[in-house]
Amino acid sequence: MYNRKCGLAAAFLSVFLLTGCWDQRELSTISVVTGMAVDKGEKGKYILTIEAVNAQELNNRTASGFAPSTVYGLEGDSLEGLAQKMNVAFSRNLIYSHMKTLIISEKVAKKGMLDFLDFLERDREIRDDFNILIARGVKASDILRVTYQFQKSSPLKLHAQLDSMVKNWGGDPDVRLNDMIEALTSTGREPVMAAVTIKGNPKKGKSIENMQKVTPDAIVTLDSMAIFKAQKLKGFLNLNDTRNYIWIEDKLRRTSLTVPCKKNHYFDARVYDNGTKVEGYLDNGKARITVRVRTEAYLNGTQCAADLVKVEVYKKYEDLLEKTIKKNLLNTITKVQKQYGLDIFGFGEKVRQQDYQDYKKVENNWEYYFKNAEINVNVTARLRRSGIRTKSYLTNIKK
Amino acid sequence: MAPIRRLRKTRALKKIGEIKEGKEIVKQEPSNSLLSLKKTLSGAFGKSSDFRVIEGFINGRAGILFYLESMINPKQMIKTTSKLFASKKDAQPFNTLDEFRSFSREIFGGVRCKSLKDDESVSQAILNGSLVIVIEGLTEIVSFHMLNTEKRALAEPSTQTVIRGPKDSFIEAVSTNISLIRRRIKNPKLTFEKFTIGKDTQTSVFIGYMDGIVNEKVLKELKDRLNGIEVSAIFDSGNIEELITDKTFTFFPLALNTERPDSAAANIMDGKVAILVDGSPFALMVPAVFVNFFEISEDFYQPLYLGSFLRFIRYLSFMIALITPSVYVGVLTYHQELLPTSFLLSIIAQREGVPFPAVVEVLLMEITFEILREAGIRMPKAVGQMVSIVGALVIGQAAAEAGIISNIMIIIMAITAIANFVAPVYSFSSASRLIRFLLIISAAILGLYGVFLMLILMVAHLCSLRSFGIPYLSPLAPFILEDQKDVFIRFPYWAMNNRPKYLESEKAIKANPVASPSPPPMKGE
Repeated sequence: MYNRKCGLAAAFLSVFLLTGCWDQRELSTISVVTGMAVDKGEKGKYILTIEAVNAQELNNRTASGFAPSTVYGLEGDSLEGLAQKMNVAFSRNLIYSHMKTLIISEKVAKKGMLDFLDFLERDREIRDDFNILIARGVKASDILRVTYQFQKSSPLKLHAQLDSMVKNWGGDPDVRLNDMIEALTSTGREPVMAAVTIKGNPKKGKSIENMQKVTPDAIVTLDSMAIFKAQKLKGFLNLNDTRNYIWIEDKLRRTSLTVPCKKNHYFDARVYDNGTKVEGYLDNGKARITVRVRTEAYLNGTQCAADLVKVEVYKKYEDLLEKTIKKNLLNTITKVQKQYGLDIFGFGEKVRQQDYQDYKKVENNWEYYFKNAEINVNVTARLRRSGIRTKSYLTNIKK
Repeated sequence: MAPIRRLRKTRALKKIGEIKEGKEIVKQEPSNSLLSLKKTLSGAFGKSSDFRVIEGFINGRAGILFYLESMINPKQMIKTTSKLFASKKDAQPFNTLDEFRSFSREIFGGVRCKSLKDDESVSQAILNGSLVIVIEGLTEIVSFHMLNTEKRALAEPSTQTVIRGPKDSFIEAVSTNISLIRRRIKNPKLTFEKFTIGKDTQTSVFIGYMDGIVNEKVLKELKDRLNGIEVSAIFDSGNIEELITDKTFTFFPLALNTERPDSAAANIMDGKVAILVDGSPFALMVPAVFVNFFEISEDFYQPLYLGSFLRFIRYLSFMIALITPSVYVGVLTYHQELLPTSFLLSIIAQREGVPFPAVVEVLLMEITFEILREAGIRMPKAVGQMVSIVGALVIGQAAAEAGIISNIMIIIMAITAIANFVAPVYSFSSASRLIRFLLIISAAILGLYGVFLMLILMVAHLCSLRSFGIPYLSPLAPFILEDQKDVFIRFPYWAMNNRPKYLESEKAIKANPVASPSPPPMKGE
């Protein structure tokens, strides 16, 4: 009994005494890192720039008009070493767990130097849910420096902005670390990333004054989507194509489509529900891909005087909508096939899942098959409602 | 009217001569046994000024009355003694006890009468508020229970209040408390057994239970434990609680206490045993399990949805009171990644300039609050307002404005304090109140890991507890499906036709199963 008690006491004490407070950090000794930017270095491999926010400035009650964050960059060969070395400039312990955005410069991506992703995936503090973005045409570190009126810190702004974008229109492929690594490692899919750029003067964007203007001197905008071949950046697709890409990927939440109903007259369909299925197989040395889209939308504005009480009108509009969607999707796919020949849509993945035996034979040469694939797009579109009006006033307008 | 002579004990011997000079009555000297008894008792009660001895002649026989003036109902005393000493012409001196009894019945009516054999029981009877009569020539001494029943009026419960439900509560007089329960359970099976505990205080302790329903094993165990008590004084049911519960070294109360007779009656009907202690307005109910401390009788007086919701609120409050400060410390010093970014930034901004680590901040505020709380209970009522004003200022504004603590800390402390007061049984809130501090310390050393380590230890400890042999966590561990009708969700009253299974009552079924009433058929149906 005595021995047992001693043993229990020892176990209990060792839990408290041997573990201890090794990772204890008081709030007043930490700075929250919200964003990282990776540029190509001159002496070292990379320049890592981080943004540590000043929490007091981000809180309306305590803000006193100073800079909302501090941005500092260091040059070196690996991100890990640089991230831990940041105290050459910062006074507080940096915590990376709240990092929202990783910005990679175009140059780094073009050289295919994305191997630092291993550190980001491995580190125990950094999460895998931050946005990964390409800085198109500007230095990645400059993106961090541009101030903004609401979130103040650029990475926080981008995080919120992209989230809203995905919810309202699409246009951001919403790539996180896991998606990236998955795309890099799977066959039959090439990675993509959203690309951002700075509209305006990056130098002026660094100041507090930038937050005080109705039209900021510089603002970070979502520009396009970057296409990769493995780790190398190969090109960009514009926002409409990006939206179509998301549509095919079945990641579309909501979007809005402008469809011609007469010459130079359009109606708007607000797409609120969508399901896309991709079927693919190899047939006589040719890949046949069928994209089946089922979309629900409501009519949210028409420039044609349409009598929206009648079923026929809806049917006509649905027909027009289907055609437009089909045309758009096909355009994007063909563009990627012809221009880049990179299977960013993951068609290869689908074929592998659905026609494994045949795919195995062409696995190493899939790019060729993708380029020459026969693409079919089937669209079923339904217009369910017409906003809070039925008949448009345009039908009653006095001539 | 025969002369009634009252003799003060101190002057008793001098005045014996005067008694002898009584006129009509045949004079008889008090015998030796009478005198010796008087001597013993005078010695036993010593210098007490409220000890009274009256000597006189009762139907021609010398007799002595002993009593404690402070314990006897004075009105009854005057009425009876005046009759007792009134001598009738045709009075026959009684020779046997029976004769005396029939004589005394006329005088005392239905007053409880007892025959006493030895000196010990005589002094006990006097102490319990009896009038002891010794009569020359009778072998036995007779006592009449004439206790002064002065007591506090029934009032509303002060610690276990309800909005809807009976508003009476137990008082210090145990006889009243018993009657309050009996009035609710009009059943001859309701049994009250008396124990006299406390070598020096001789406190009356009653256990009340439903014969035929109560678990006999629990009852026997309780009786054994009560009989085994060897202390000199009992003043409150709290004393008894500590002496009879299965484990003293625990933060959790192992006996339910209530000052509500309806709650006591309901628990007795479930098969529990009530322990009523003379002088204490709190009855103990045993055995008590963990979930009992989250149930109140009002749950059943209110609509069942509200009753269930309020139970949920009570469990939630228990957890809030228990872990909020420690989670605050743990998250702020170890797990900043757990908070949403905007929340973390807001906390950092608020804590900017606070000179203390989170744990010091928390301990500072918690201890300040405990001091205020204790002061609030102990201080004279007249200065109460002042303390609460000063306390609110100290805790709230001043500390935050001086930058010693952050605003969020005040929120944490306030919610913890308020949640702690939700516990329906005050003694149970002490568990969360004390364990909270252990949790804060372990959160400071180990973060949330420490918090959960302590919580696991707490659950392990709870699993090890027994209340009169009944597992403390039943009906959750061991899990009893049938008893879940009255744990987290309060089922309709008509659906609860079984007594709690964990109590292992002798009669498990309360009533035949019935369905909810439904409206009568409509016209034409």
